[in-house]
This record gives sequence, C-alpha cells and structure tokens, in this order.
Amino acid sequence: MFDRHQDLKTIRRCKRGEEAAFAEILGRYRGAIYNLCYRMTHNSEDARDLGQEVFIKVFSLLDRFDENYAFSSWLFRIGTNHCIDHLRRNRLRFLSLDGGVGPDGEEYEFQLPDSGPTPDTVLQRKEALERLEEVISELPPHYKAITLLRHDQQLSYEEIAEILQLPLGTVKARIHRARNQIQQMLAARSYDI
Amino acid sequence: MYGKKNKPDLPLDCEEGGRGLQEYLDGTLDKPESLRFFLHLRECTDCQGEHDRLQGLFRMLESLPDHEVPADFDRAVLDSVPYAAYQAMEPLRRDRVPVYLEEAFLPRFVRARLTRLVGFGIAAVAAALALRGDGSALLPVLIVTGLLPEVVVRLQGLGRRALETTRRAES
Ligand SMILES: [Zn+2]
Repeated sequence: MFDRHQDLKTIRRCKRGEEAAFAEILGRYRGAIYNLCYRMTHNSEDARDLGQEVFIKVFSLLDRFDENYAFSSWLFRIGTNHCIDHLRRNRLRFLSLDGGVGPDGEEYEFQLPDSGPTPDTVLQRKEALERLEEVISELPPHYKAITLLRHDQQLSYEEIAEILQLPLGTVKARIHRARNQIQQMLAARSYDI
Repeated sequence: MYGKKNKPDLPLDCEEGGRGLQEYLDGTLDKPESLRFFLHLRECTDCQGEHDRLQGLFRMLESLPDHEVPADFDRAVLDSVPYAAYQAMEPLRRDRVPVYLEEAFLPRFVRARLTRLVGFGIAAVAAALALRGDGSALLPVLIVTGLLPEVVVRLQGLGRRALETTRRAES
C-alpha cells in the first residue's frame, strides 16, 4: 500500500542530508504514525510526543535501515515498539501502587465502566466508533498494535509479520485473539456496534 | 450447537465454522475451504449471525476516524535531524566500493609502475618473437603473464568508474 521504490529514492536523498527529503517522508507518513500513536495511547498529547519521537529516532538512524526491507515496515516497527514501550512504562508506574504485576504487560484486566449505556440504547454510528476506540485503547499493547496494523493501516498478514518480526502463524493467532477480546469487551459493556 | 439433522452431509459443522470464521472474512482460506464456509453460512442462521456481527466489527475497525495531526508536528522533528552529519558522511558513503574494486586489494608490487612496464616489455618481446615465427610454446604464456598486471589494474579502474556512473544515474 506504500510505494516502496519511491520511499527508497527519498531515503537515499535523506542520507545525503537534504532537508526536503525528510519533509517528504513526513508528509507521506505523519498521518499514519500519529494515528497509530493516538489509538495506542488514546491521548492526543502523548500521540504527538510519541509520533515525533518515532520520526526523530528513525531520522537519526537511517544508516541502520536495511534497504532489503520496505521502509514503511521499518518505520511501523519502530513506531509500534515505541508505543508498546511507552504503555508498559506507564502501566508499571501506574500499577506499582497495587504491586504484583508481571513486567510483560501481556495479560491485562480491563474494568467495566460504572455507568455504561443501557443495552437498548440505539447508538449513533459516531458514538459506536468512539466506543470502539475506547475498547481498543484498553486492549493489551500487543493486541492493540496488531489490530491497528491490520485494520487501521490495512496491512497484510505478511507485512505485519515483517513489521513485528513474528512468524505468520503467531500473527494470525494474535489477531484472532485480539478480535475475540474486542468482541468480549464490547459485549461486557453491552456496547452494540 | 446447531446440528441440522436433516442434512447429514453438511460439509462443515458449526464448531469448525465458528473457529474459521475470522480466516474466512480475512480471505486467507483457499478456494475449496472458502466455498465450504460459503455453503454452510447460506444454510445456517446461527453462523450467519456470527458472520454478520464479525463483519460489522471489521467494517467499524476499518472506518475509525482519522485524527488530525497537530500543526506544529513537523517542526520539532525537522529541527532534530543531523543534516550536517549526513552531508559529511555522504562522500564516504559514495566512495565506498566493493573490496575487490579497492586499489589496496591488489598487492603493491602488482600495482607498481615498474612491474607493469617490465611486464609490458616482456610481453612485447615475446609477441615480436612469435610474429617472427618462433614456435616456442612458452611465448603465449609470457605474453599473457607480462600483460596481466596492466590488465588487472585497468579492469579494476574500469569497474570503479562503472560503479560511480551507475550510482550517479541512480541519484
Ligand atoms: Zn453453523
């Protein structure tokens, strides 16, 4: 979905230190990366900071970019990992008050809101989308990332496997589990979408 | 479970259907498998309902609204780029050639002007003798060996120049 050849040409110009080339890459990817960060954190300030950090990191490491892979895969890998790290750091800080949480962040208890909508409420589409965003934001970081790459960025399983450096089977299994969990969370809140 | 006792030949049961529904919707099943799902879904209202719910979720996930990137997003990023470092690295990167094209790859005595001249002289004398009809089998060997240092050095230079030309064309 991203033009790999075009990217490579621009990256080579970046490596020569052309400011305009960096601006081109930003123009191509800032929306995707910002929205990835937004949906991962559900917070616009965090999204801006994380998104900028991702680009700053990528732009300072271009010499490490392996031209045998798609630039977009490398960028999304750094972006996804950066968000997951951020969520884990914050989660640990937040949960250390209660103590006793494993460091991997893989399992995750979500809480039902005190005052959810009644089941028979007819939801507007916009509201439904907001609720879905809310539910996604509460998924465990890995499930969240994989769901966004698949459905929001609309990448193929193969591309996701390359980005996350996971076997294809693991990617599929995780996406399935993530969707199941989204459905369960929606049902638990009686969110009908 | 759904059962469908009147259709014992139903090729796919609801349990299997429930497990594979996501793959069906992802389009990652092969054709015959996909067809089995299609046929089952046409017959089975339970699985059809599950299918529609999941498809609805997929559609919702794909239509999440895009959030607008803050206007000042680029500045901090572009200000942080080490342009000077990239510019300084560029000549080094451009000049980097495969090791066999580097001059130092050849032993110094091969590259030495004297070696090449002497080799050339030997080859010339051998060629002259061969032209005069001296049939010694040693002469072709002497010609080739004599020319070898010059040829190798020139081939290497040619390879380097060809590489530079292609690189310039690429950029
Ligand atoms: Zn069924």
